[in-house]
Amino acid sequence: MQNRRRIVITALVFLLPTIVGTLIFRLIPIIWSFALSFYEWKVFDKAVFVGWKNYAHIFTSSISLDVFVNSAIFSVIYVAGSLALALVLAVVLNNGLRSSAFFRGAFFVPYITATVAIALAWRWIFSTRFGVLNNLLIALGVENPPAWLADPAWALPAVALVSIWKDVGFYMILLLAGLQTIDPTLYQAARVDGAGPIARFRKVTVPLLTRSLFFVLIIALVRSTQTFEITYALTNGGPNRASTTLAFFVYQKAFVDFEVGYAAALSYIMCVILGFLTLVSFYFRRKWVHE
Amino acid sequence: MNNFNLARYSRKNGTLFLLYSVLAVYSLVTLAPFMWMLITSFKEPSDVFKIPPSFVPSMLFSDTPFANYATVWTERSFVSFFLNSTWVAFMASIGQVFTTSLAGYAFARLELPGKNVLFAIVLATAFVPTEVTIMPEFLMMRWIGWIDTFASLIVPSFLVGAFGTFMLREYFASLPSDYADAAYVDGASPFQIFYKVYLPLAQPALVSVFVIAFINNWNELLRPLLFLNSPEKFTVPLGLMSFVNQYEASWTLLMAGSVISTVPLILIYMLTQRYILQGFVGGGVKG
Repeated sequence: MQNRRRIVITALVFLLPTIVGTLIFRLIPIIWSFALSFYEWKVFDKAVFVGWKNYAHIFTSSISLDVFVNSAIFSVIYVAGSLALALVLAVVLNNGLRSSAFFRGAFFVPYITATVAIALAWRWIFSTRFGVLNNLLIALGVENPPAWLADPAWALPAVALVSIWKDVGFYMILLLAGLQTIDPTLYQAARVDGAGPIARFRKVTVPLLTRSLFFVLIIALVRSTQTFEITYALTNGGPNRASTTLAFFVYQKAFVDFEVGYAAALSYIMCVILGFLTLVSFYFRRKWVHE
Repeated sequence: MNNFNLARYSRKNGTLFLLYSVLAVYSLVTLAPFMWMLITSFKEPSDVFKIPPSFVPSMLFSDTPFANYATVWTERSFVSFFLNSTWVAFMASIGQVFTTSLAGYAFARLELPGKNVLFAIVLATAFVPTEVTIMPEFLMMRWIGWIDTFASLIVPSFLVGAFGTFMLREYFASLPSDYADAAYVDGASPFQIFYKVYLPLAQPALVSVFVIAFINNWNELLRPLLFLNSPEKFTVPLGLMSFVNQYEASWTLLMAGSVISTVPLILIYMLTQRYILQGFVGGGVKG
């Protein structure tokens, strides 16, 4: 009994920093922000309680509706693109090729590199007249290559592509970790039963990888809603809000326009959407994830 | 018999060729932007706006091959951005390893009434986007008086690390309990069992948490942008962005600065990469 008490005390001491940190830097700000969302507050003025007005304003303004659409497009491109590419790369790398350590490193480098630095390199690559990409396209015979970051139709996909390029190596590593837990004898057994490479992929790899795939899906979903650095360095949300997603819009409202209450309401809507999508994913988890 | 083997051999080589082509093409996609960044950083400013672009790092063949780097490092005060970022990222990550290893161990291996509820809260709050908490965080920093200090960047990362907590909890849980039982029989206290037995075993996971925290803190832009005011306190990403706004067209200098800010992360990754995959996979399943 003496020992049990000691363990409980040790556990409490061990958890103390986490409890304090979670309380001060997560729980209190989360509640505070919710309260702020019911106020009209322009930082330098007095805060005025306005009830649901901020929320009502968000759902009726055409600007914020554009931003919602941008966010949805961005998330779809990002999540689908990252998952598909990461799966292909992980499966190819898992074949025990001699140089797979080199390729694994090469693919992971964008993830571990300095975000703003590499986003600026991409901005330079995408540059309309002097950029290496458009000059390459012209050399390949493309007549009028797009202006990329300066073109409202291309700015958002370009930001999404750079984000996928940056993160896919991380998802690939997570999937590789999942692949390595699959018992090799299962493949041998499948082969003995006459299963070809595609059948082995579909009947052994995919079912046993669903846990990792689900994990990657959730992380990618969360990350897709929070893009900031790449947008800031590539387009600053432009041209004319064409690449502004929700997270970036919250930043602009709070710290550029100083509409704190409005920004807080926006951030809460973002949070609810994300929570809803996560719940939906968990609900459908049973249908396709094998335990 | 001979024919059959030949067929199988070439089919196998066909697959190999396909696999290697996928890998080669994609590694070109990942590495090309870095190459272009590097080439641009070694160009004469006059060579940048050539059409078609030149792939020659012209400055390398001049008397002052590192002139762009020298300018960025001293005149544009990159040396101070660099030192600031190093200090902030190092302290924030060491703190995060400290906090999350204790919490991860307690969640995985110690008894505490209500610990699962607590773990659920820690995880759930991690799903709340930064955008929700950043405004109150800013007000809080102003109230404490930490605006324009490094504490505003270090302390939150020190105390909150949901991803690290989650990862280390899984890792500690995957290690066998026999060690704890043996140490307990030998009269070790709960703290000694953690410190002497399990912490050394978790080394790959601890290194992974450190590296990931370091990268995240090194790259953080939003908080430095909001919390830091004086240019001599700027971190590298903030320094780079302030640079863009001032000298939009000086791509040679900008790319030199970008290379400088990328090097430490690549170095750290190269030194620790053998731990990273192992850290993700978990201790129990290896071998």
